[in-house]
Amino acid sequence: MATENFIEFNIRKRFTGFDLDCEASFGRGVTAIFGPSGTGKTTLLNCLAGMTKPDEGSISVDGRTVFSSESKTDVRPEKRRFGYVFQDSVLFPHKSVRDNIQYGYNLTPVGSREIDLDHLVDMLGLSPLMSRNVKNLSGGEKQRVALARALAISPKLLLMDEPLASLDARFKGAIISYLKRVVRELKIPMVYVSHSLSEVTALSDDTLAIEGGRTVAFGPTRSLLGSPALAAVADYAALENILEGEALPSQDGASTSRIRVGEAELLIPAIDAAPGDAVMVSVRAGDIILSLEAPQKISARNIVKAVVRGIHDLGSQVLVFADVGERITVEITPGALADLSLRVGSDVYLVIKTNSITVMS
Amino acid sequence: MDISLILLTLQIAVVATAINLPIAIGLSWLIVKRRVRGSFLLDVLVSLPLALPPVVSGYFLLLLLGREGPVGSLIRDILGVDIVFTWVAAALASAVVSFPLMARGVMTAIEGVDERLERSARSLGAGALRVAFTITLPLAYRGIMAGVLLGFVRALSEFGATIVVAGNIPGRTQTLPLAIFEKVQLGRDADALRLVGVSIALAVATILVHNWLLSKSRTKD
Repeated sequence: MATENFIEFNIRKRFTGFDLDCEASFGRGVTAIFGPSGTGKTTLLNCLAGMTKPDEGSISVDGRTVFSSESKTDVRPEKRRFGYVFQDSVLFPHKSVRDNIQYGYNLTPVGSREIDLDHLVDMLGLSPLMSRNVKNLSGGEKQRVALARALAISPKLLLMDEPLASLDARFKGAIISYLKRVVRELKIPMVYVSHSLSEVTALSDDTLAIEGGRTVAFGPTRSLLGSPALAAVADYAALENILEGEALPSQDGASTSRIRVGEAELLIPAIDAAPGDAVMVSVRAGDIILSLEAPQKISARNIVKAVVRGIHDLGSQVLVFADVGERITVEITPGALADLSLRVGSDVYLVIKTNSITVMS
Repeated sequence: MDISLILLTLQIAVVATAINLPIAIGLSWLIVKRRVRGSFLLDVLVSLPLALPPVVSGYFLLLLLGREGPVGSLIRDILGVDIVFTWVAAALASAVVSFPLMARGVMTAIEGVDERLERSARSLGAGALRVAFTITLPLAYRGIMAGVLLGFVRALSEFGATIVVAGNIPGRTQTLPLAIFEKVQLGRDADALRLVGVSIALAVATILVHNWLLSKSRTKD
C-alpha cells in the first residue's frame, strides 16, 4: 500500500446507468486504475484532471485541495498543472511537433519549468521529428509527442487514459520502455488508466481495480495479481508478461535472436538490434510450460531455471509467479498444480517456445 | 451610377457581416461549447430570422429604431440623428436577416473542433480564452469563413427588411436588389437585366469561394 498519500480522493458522480463512488489514496509512484470498459475509470481520471466535476466529495493532490464540494473549491484544469495523455494522442493538427510540445511549456511559469525541453525531446527520441507535421506521424510517434507535450509543463502529476490501447504491439513495447524511463528519470507520479492487466502489471506500483464505479481491489500491483477480488474483473487467460530485455550478440542471418531478461537468456524471433539495446517482449502466461526437471529432446528453444515465489489458486486456474531475476507469471490448471505439488521456493523450469514470444519493439 | 450602386451594396453587406461575426462566434460558443442553460432557446432565436418573412424582421427593426422606438429615440437623444432610412438601417436590416446563415455555419464549424483538443490545451495551462484563440478558432477558421460568406451573400441580396426600415432612396439606401425592383416597376427591362447580371456574378463568385472553403475544411482532417 502507498506509504505516502500524494493523491487523496473521495468522490461521487451520478450518471444515468451507473454511479461512480470511489475513495482511495495514491502514492508518488505509478498507480493503475484497472477495470473492464465502461466502469468509470476514465470518469475518475477526468475528475482528477478537473475535466469532469464530481457531484460531491473532495480531491487533494500533494496537500492541495483541488476539489471540494463542501468548500465549493474547483480548481480549473489549467491551474492544476497535471499532464494528461489521451488514448489517441489528440495532437494539435495545425501545429508542428515542436509547436505541440512547446504549447504548454510556454504557458508554464519560468520558475516552474523543472524539466529541460531538450533533455525531454532527447529522452523520448523526438529530435528527428521536431519540424514534422503531426499528421504524418505513426501512432507510436504521435503518442511520444503527446507524452512530451504533457511532460513539458513539468506536471505535478501525469494522468494517462489508455495510452497504449490504440497502438500496434510493436509500438506498445517502445512506449512502455519510454514510460519506464520517464518514471525512472523524471520521478513524476502517474495515474494510468487501463483495461489491460498486462500493461498494468508491467508498469504500475499500485493498482486500483474498479467495476461499476466501485472499488473492488486496491493495493500493490504485485500482491493484488492473483487475489480473488481482482480475479473477478481480470481476464487472466489473456495476461501477458511484458518483459524488458537486453539484446545479446547473435549470429548473422540467424532466424532467432538472443536477449537477456533478468538472469535468463531467451531465444526470440529474429530482431534487428545491436548488443546492449533494450528489447521489449511479451509472453502469454498461458503459453509457458512448467516442469520440475529440465526436459530433454524437446523442440522448445527456451528452458529457463526459475524459483516459485507465489502460487494463487483461483479455482478454475492457477497463477504461479516464477522468479528469473524478473517476475514471470505462468498460468496452469489446478490439476497440474496438484500433480507437480508445487510449493513456494520450489525450483522449476519454464519451457517457452521461441514463437510464443512476441517482440514489442 | 452602376459603380456607386455596387459599392453601396457591398458596403452595406460588408458592414452587416462585420457586425454579425463577433456575435455569431460568441453565441456559437455559448450554445455548442459552454452549453449554457436555455441554449436550446438561444438556438431557436439564432435561426428565427431565417424562418420569418424578412418584412417581419424589417418591421420589428422599424419599431425598434424609429423616432418613437426605444433604440431610435435613445440614439436621437445622444447623437441627434435618425437611423431609419439611412444606409446604417439598411446594414442593420441585412445583418438581422443574414445572421442565421452565418451563425449556423459558424456553429457547425466550432462544434466540429474535437473537444479533446480543447481539453488538452486546458490541461497544458491555457485558459478558456486562450484555448479559443489558439485552438478552436484556428481549427474552425475555414468553416467560419464559409459561414461568413454565406451570410455575406445573403446580405447582398437582402430586400424585404431593408425596404421597410431603410426605404429605397437612390444613392443613399438603394442596393442592387432594390434598384432592380425599381427598374422592373418602371418597365426598364434592359437596366434591370444588366443589374441582374451583376447580381448573379457577385453571387456566383461568393458561392464558389464558399464551396472551395468548405471542401478544404473537409479534406483537412
